[in-house]
Amino acid sequence: MAKPAVRLEFVERGVFAVLALLVVRAAQVQLLEGRRWAEAAQAQRTERIVLQARRGTLSDRHGTPLALTQETYHVGVAPNELRDAARDGALIARQLGLTGRWQEALRRRYAYFAGPFSALEVRPLRGVRGVHLEPVVNRFYPAPELARATIGRVGDDGYGASGMEKTLDSLLAGRSGSAVVLKDRAGREYESPARVIAQPVAGHDVVLTLDAELQEIAQRALDDALRRMDADGGDVVMLDPATCEVLAIASRQRDGTARPSAFIDTFEPGSVAKIFAAAALLALKRVRPGEHVSGENGVYRLPGRTITDDDPQPTLTLADAIRVSSNIAIVKFSARLKPAEQYGMLRDFGFGALTGVEFPGEAAGRLRPPFEWTRPSAASLAIGYELSVTPIQLAAAYAALANGGLLLQPTMIREVRSPEGRVLYRHEPEPVRRAVSPEIAAALRDLLRGVVERGTGAEAALTNFPVAAKTGTTRRVVNGHYAPGQYTASFAALFPADKPQLVLVVKIDNPHKGSHFAAQTAAPVTRSMLEQALAARTVALDRARLSTAAPPATAVPLEDDGGVVPYVVPWPYQPDSVGERRRQTVPDVTGLRLREAVRALHRRGFRVALRGWGTAEHTWPAAGDSAATGATVTLFAEPVNPAAVGTLARRRAKR
Amino acid sequence: MRVKGRHWVAVWLVAFLAVTWLVYARQTAAIHDARELIEIRARRANLEGHKAELERRVRAEQSRAVLVPRAQAKLGLHLPADSEIILIPLPGPGSGPP
Repeated sequence: MAKPAVRLEFVERGVFAVLALLVVRAAQVQLLEGRRWAEAAQAQRTERIVLQARRGTLSDRHGTPLALTQETYHVGVAPNELRDAARDGALIARQLGLTGRWQEALRRRYAYFAGPFSALEVRPLRGVRGVHLEPVVNRFYPAPELARATIGRVGDDGYGASGMEKTLDSLLAGRSGSAVVLKDRAGREYESPARVIAQPVAGHDVVLTLDAELQEIAQRALDDALRRMDADGGDVVMLDPATCEVLAIASRQRDGTARPSAFIDTFEPGSVAKIFAAAALLALKRVRPGEHVSGENGVYRLPGRTITDDDPQPTLTLADAIRVSSNIAIVKFSARLKPAEQYGMLRDFGFGALTGVEFPGEAAGRLRPPFEWTRPSAASLAIGYELSVTPIQLAAAYAALANGGLLLQPTMIREVRSPEGRVLYRHEPEPVRRAVSPEIAAALRDLLRGVVERGTGAEAALTNFPVAAKTGTTRRVVNGHYAPGQYTASFAALFPADKPQLVLVVKIDNPHKGSHFAAQTAAPVTRSMLEQALAARTVALDRARLSTAAPPATAVPLEDDGGVVPYVVPWPYQPDSVGERRRQTVPDVTGLRLREAVRALHRRGFRVALRGWGTAEHTWPAAGDSAATGATVTLFAEPVNPAAVGTLARRRAKR
Repeated sequence: MRVKGRHWVAVWLVAFLAVTWLVYARQTAAIHDARELIEIRARRANLEGHKAELERRVRAEQSRAVLVPRAQAKLGLHLPADSEIILIPLPGPGSGPP
């Protein structure tokens, strides 16, 4: 056996060797592989998370929100972490609305419920051990059925999937941010604030041109009509002819779906297009005033086509042809137009081309150029066949008649605002071209007025307000052929007939019950919508201008209506859309008490609509924007601490 | 008085304890604040959810689909025909009260 000194030396050398190895390994880890290990450690202990940006709000023209962003949650459950599996499991199932075999799901190692669940639904789960909430921003529609097809929806990926959500995605989406959070060895997040790398940038808010109340009127009227007539579907479009802003657009199919058919489905307009043949005849002076043509006893044979009238007349003027919707007379008059002239006028009114409205997948319709026409094409086009249009195209063309002959590009977007409320874009009417002169447009409106006063549109007549309109009933094309017994009834109206404020297009597809004629189907629907619009408080109608069209109040027997109190517009009424009024800057009333805020707005000559109670929070239009005196400013208020109110108000007063 | 070695040890120990206590206190305060922040965020989310739910209900109750039948059934009201709607013309310029 070796001597102790030798053994000790052996041990010393051994220890030294181990230490040397450790030093070498430490040098390898720290110096040679240091960066890699540092990165691995970083990755293990930190995680980069995405901070989702708030998607912009979509609201109607009065600021009523139509689509908002809201925080919702995905829920993860680790059953082995639950304190009382039975009790907590039942609570989770109740809150998340789990049915069926939820116990089985909770028997797994980790159960994940994508939801998304609202904050209210998950509130009782916040304190439950083993429940992990993953916040995710989600789209919320306060009135889900209102203009659903037009507004569209956001897809699972958070991007706009359809409708205006899709069109406006780049504006609404904003820019996501990122942050780094600390994690422990098990991958659980530390309860420490995240280190923000990039702040999320909220999306812009968009004010649509829709009027929520008119939209509801349109949807209800259409639903009622489809139910009553047992029709396959239908559309309603309402436009402001001065700006071509879409005020309401409703589409409904028999199966209850709401495909945006007003933008994407075309139909043969039939007699509602006769007015455009009349426009060409008047503009090119091919018809003398009072000139008559024979009614041919209701049957007029042309090479390749026989034209008939349901209500034969001995002789007709152009006004009569429009009033009673005579196919024979309009075909005879239109024969005086060259194909290029007839085509040119339809083209000038926007047929056969996209309107340019901001809706994905809009259809252009079909208008064949003259070199593709067959022998009966000219006659067919004069009565609205061999031409396919969308309801929005038809409404835009009638808007041109209403505003003095200017074809405008229809729009759905009224304003775009930054998240801070700054106006980035405000819609101004965009003329496409002049279709006819103001004099010809006025003459055409007179023709349309005759339709309602003494012609086929009598069912749309109102007692106190003149309406100009045209009916159209066409055979439906199914699989490339005209289907027997199937019709499309359409009605295009201008309200009121003088200086119109509203263009309405109503289309009913294949009504089964009752008459299939537009005069008995689409016209009464139009009247009902107009009556409701007149009675509604917030609908975008300039009642000051309407009142001049109404007969004197004394002419209406107030006492004879069985004690019914008529709806009386507040006086003096200051409408939103009177153009000549002075514009004023909206004052900043944030932080003021409600009474003071309202007083400040009144001093500038605005009307005030209140939303909420407490302290003024913001206004719509926002502070600093200008609005016409007499326009309505919506004042949003929120309850706050009374002490804070005083301080804010004092600070504002000093400023 | 000359500072001896053990005094230095004591000074360093006290300094170490003080720094450790400071770090501990700051960490504790930060965790407390972080918890409070999470709680406030959750409360805000709850309130926003509640507000959204109330807004939805208000909009539903205010809709014509709900209001019109109720007004008809309970109050005997009806949607006015246009002949029952009177729009009072605006007074012309200079026709104000004397």
